[in-house]
Amino acid sequence: MGGSVSKLMGKIFGTKEMRILMLGLDAAGKTTILYKLKLTNQDVTTIPTVGFNVESVTYKNVKFNVWDVGGQDKIRPLWRHYYSGTQGLIFVVDSSDTVRLEEARSELHKIINDREMKDALLLVFANKQDVPGHLSPEEVINALQLTKLKDKLWYVAPSVATEGTGIFEGLAWLSNNVKTQQPQK
Amino acid sequence: MSTTLPIRTSDEKGHSAPSPAKSNGLPHLSPSPSIAPKHSPRSSQTSTRHSGDQHTATRDSKPRRCKSQYPRDSPERHVEFILVASFHIDRGPIMEHQYPGPISGDESMLAELMLPDQTHVRSQDWTIFFLHKDTSTEGEDEEQTGTKKKKRKAQTETSSGDGEASDGLDDESGETTEEEQSSDEEDGGEGPPLMYVLNLVNTKQDNTVKRGAVVKAMAICTRHSFLHIYKPILLLALEDYFKSPYPETLESLYNAVNAMDLSYMPKLNLLERQILQASNSKDMFIEKFEQMVNQRMIADGELNETNEDNPPSPKKASPRNILPRDTHEFESKIIYQNIPIPVKVPTVIWPEIVGDFSLVKLIQTFSAPHTSSPQPFPLHPHLTTSGAYTHPIIVLVNAMLTQKRVVFLGHNRPSGEVAEAVLAACALASGGILRGFTRHAFPYTDLTKIDDLLMVPGFIAGVTNPTFANHPEWWDVLCDLPTGRIKISNHIEPAPVTDGLLYFQQQTPVIPPGPNADPSGDNLFMEDVLRSIANRYGENAIRAKWRAYTTKFTRIAAAFEETVYGASNIYIIGPNEEISPESPSGLQADPADPTTLRGHGYVWSDEAAKQRELMASVSRIEGWRTTRSYYSFIQDIAAMYYPARPIQKPDLYHHHDRLRTRKLLPADASAIYIAFSHAIQDYAGICQLLTVTPESQAGLFYLAMGLLHPDQTTREATADLLERIALHPAGRHFWAQLNRFAKTAYFRIKRDRDAGSSKSPSDSFGPPQSLVGVAMSGVRSHGS
Repeated sequence: MGGSVSKLMGKIFGTKEMRILMLGLDAAGKTTILYKLKLTNQDVTTIPTVGFNVESVTYKNVKFNVWDVGGQDKIRPLWRHYYSGTQGLIFVVDSSDTVRLEEARSELHKIINDREMKDALLLVFANKQDVPGHLSPEEVINALQLTKLKDKLWYVAPSVATEGTGIFEGLAWLSNNVKTQQPQK
Repeated sequence: MSTTLPIRTSDEKGHSAPSPAKSNGLPHLSPSPSIAPKHSPRSSQTSTRHSGDQHTATRDSKPRRCKSQYPRDSPERHVEFILVASFHIDRGPIMEHQYPGPISGDESMLAELMLPDQTHVRSQDWTIFFLHKDTSTEGEDEEQTGTKKKKRKAQTETSSGDGEASDGLDDESGETTEEEQSSDEEDGGEGPPLMYVLNLVNTKQDNTVKRGAVVKAMAICTRHSFLHIYKPILLLALEDYFKSPYPETLESLYNAVNAMDLSYMPKLNLLERQILQASNSKDMFIEKFEQMVNQRMIADGELNETNEDNPPSPKKASPRNILPRDTHEFESKIIYQNIPIPVKVPTVIWPEIVGDFSLVKLIQTFSAPHTSSPQPFPLHPHLTTSGAYTHPIIVLVNAMLTQKRVVFLGHNRPSGEVAEAVLAACALASGGILRGFTRHAFPYTDLTKIDDLLMVPGFIAGVTNPTFANHPEWWDVLCDLPTGRIKISNHIEPAPVTDGLLYFQQQTPVIPPGPNADPSGDNLFMEDVLRSIANRYGENAIRAKWRAYTTKFTRIAAAFEETVYGASNIYIIGPNEEISPESPSGLQADPADPTTLRGHGYVWSDEAAKQRELMASVSRIEGWRTTRSYYSFIQDIAAMYYPARPIQKPDLYHHHDRLRTRKLLPADASAIYIAFSHAIQDYAGICQLLTVTPESQAGLFYLAMGLLHPDQTTREATADLLERIALHPAGRHFWAQLNRFAKTAYFRIKRDRDAGSSKSPSDSFGPPQSLVGVAMSGVRSHGS
């Protein structure tokens, strides 16, 4: 009851905040996506992330606090420290890097099986759809074995981060579905 | 319950036969105050360097050798390792090169520390971190988190030695004692000195490499706490390394920094260091620097005589050039790639003072938001000692004193900035007196070390990753640098109820303090500090205030322990002194011996003030009494402060405080002046006196009031004492700063006595009218 009232308040006043964690293997395009969200129409060139980036992006009355954490395998164990309080996980996959797709699958399943992430929405960006030899979103779904997931809201959005294609569609899915979640405070 | 302090029982040391072991470097002055001394102070001349009087005095006894803080032949190197790390685009942080050999331990952890979070968003960043690395054992023993290994290291500490054993110059047992003592000071009984790492990271955009950037970091590992002197050279060297990424670049840096010569820097004992630090005189203890030069010239001369092929080098710098312009720091240079880089090394090094932080900056950061829009803290007895609106800086200091976990968070700030804040906080709580903060500080750390960090009780850490703010279970107090706000965690452990607390609750009915009440005096103190900052008092003045704050805290804690527990381990109580409240301060235990003046400890204006202040401090003192800094302070008292204290009775600090804060009857004041004059005879004794009369607290003013005492004996005793002080190499600066009024009184007493004794004094002062001129020139030299 109280939940639905505050949901209504959120709708009217647009005060909803959502903490998003963006993960993925190194060089998948996480930082590019983050800065495409932040600086809509600019070209973004990035260098490897040492540690993390965090930015706030407001889209459709939802303020997204997006955490983008470096993806080198050595620093992946740190991802867990960002889980608590996360409402949405964006997992970025380089659709053209078919060799490492299995590695990506394993990392993804590790994350979403964590207790602290059980209520988080899962948005997968099948990124680099412009690179020749890339997989389609359906192939990515299969490769990541998303259909096996139980009790999980997930969505795969094809994207070309460098051009900004598909990114806001993904965010729209997040903002539409976060409303069905128990609002946090 | 009795005190565990080693009280000298054997004889009357410290009274009329001052122990020669404790006097340092300079001769004893004439032992008896009643015999007219040979030399008389001349206010103006004594403040210049080369008065003939002093040289005469120096010849009175065999001059001690003055030791170097950093001897030429020391096996210890200024810099032990040079490291280079880079961010590999596939593997993350990796170590590229290490010189002269691999530094033991977890290489990848070091590489992570050298490449701080978000270094990709800025072109340059500095970090500082500490390694707990043993001096003797190479290998296995190097770890960012010290606690696990500390015990073992404490055991190896004595055997490891730190190069001091090598000097064969000690021919007196007294000096050996001093050496032991000073190595104690450095180690603090907590294991070998930390290895400090100064690290520079550069990110260079480069389109020719994969993913468009190269990130490299170079670090200098040293045991010197003044590691900031290496900043300019590290900038040059890292630039060189980008051009030629080979071990040779590290080697040339290593050789350059280790060629730095600090051998002309004299070693000062504890009392001398306290005096130098509290003084603004730029030539305090210049004599010691001169002596270093002279000793060197003699040593080199002997060398040349034995080796006839070598004529004396004409290039030898003239001694004048080596003498510092300001004795607080020693100027040297590092020659790197033929570029001489000037460096200034502090003469006085205190524990827990590392790097070139700014207390002023730290205080301002966390005061501004509090001043403009104060926010209430959730109450915690250890922290919010002045209620919900306790000043955030006081909350921070309380948190450090009671060993809470403190995190400095600087999101989007360079990691150098958080490191500086951590170092400043350590200095703030320590005041250079208490220890155990830097040893558990992580000036910069990141998520990779979180598990190790959480194993350290009461850490102080600097981070840039805002995810720390989302984990209140990781810290007790979070200091957010960008907003200048301090947060108390809702996970903080509640303060336990202790004996001291119950005692005070039974003793005194709890009076709810009014809105403007400030029983702890902290509000007043913070106002004073902020006013000083606003009036552009320098960093040194602010540090001195905090040092005084910490000193006061320890003295009040001692009074508290005595009140509640009947004894205290954190205060030195002289022989013949009773620790019972029934023994009133100022009574003379032995009528024949004026130095047996009773009384010790902190002095309040009256009993009510004492109760109020103790009551207000109960919680944080009780909180402090279980911490590392408390236990190491007990050790320091026994191992360092006690032996450094030539005068065991009377309690100089206590009785000088009585002169300052109480309205004394003439008889009581007289007892103090006469006791002081009897007790304070030699070089070391005067040093001890000068530590309780710093310039910032009116210097010799209260002592000089004895010149105006109604009783003639008292006046003359005071004059004798002042005369000895004026001849003392450090005391002469204090004498020079004494006001003209007091000096005139002094000369009048001398003249009257000389006239009265009808002896023709060997050195007279000339006609009275010239005295004013002499005194005035003293005033002038003080102002310049």
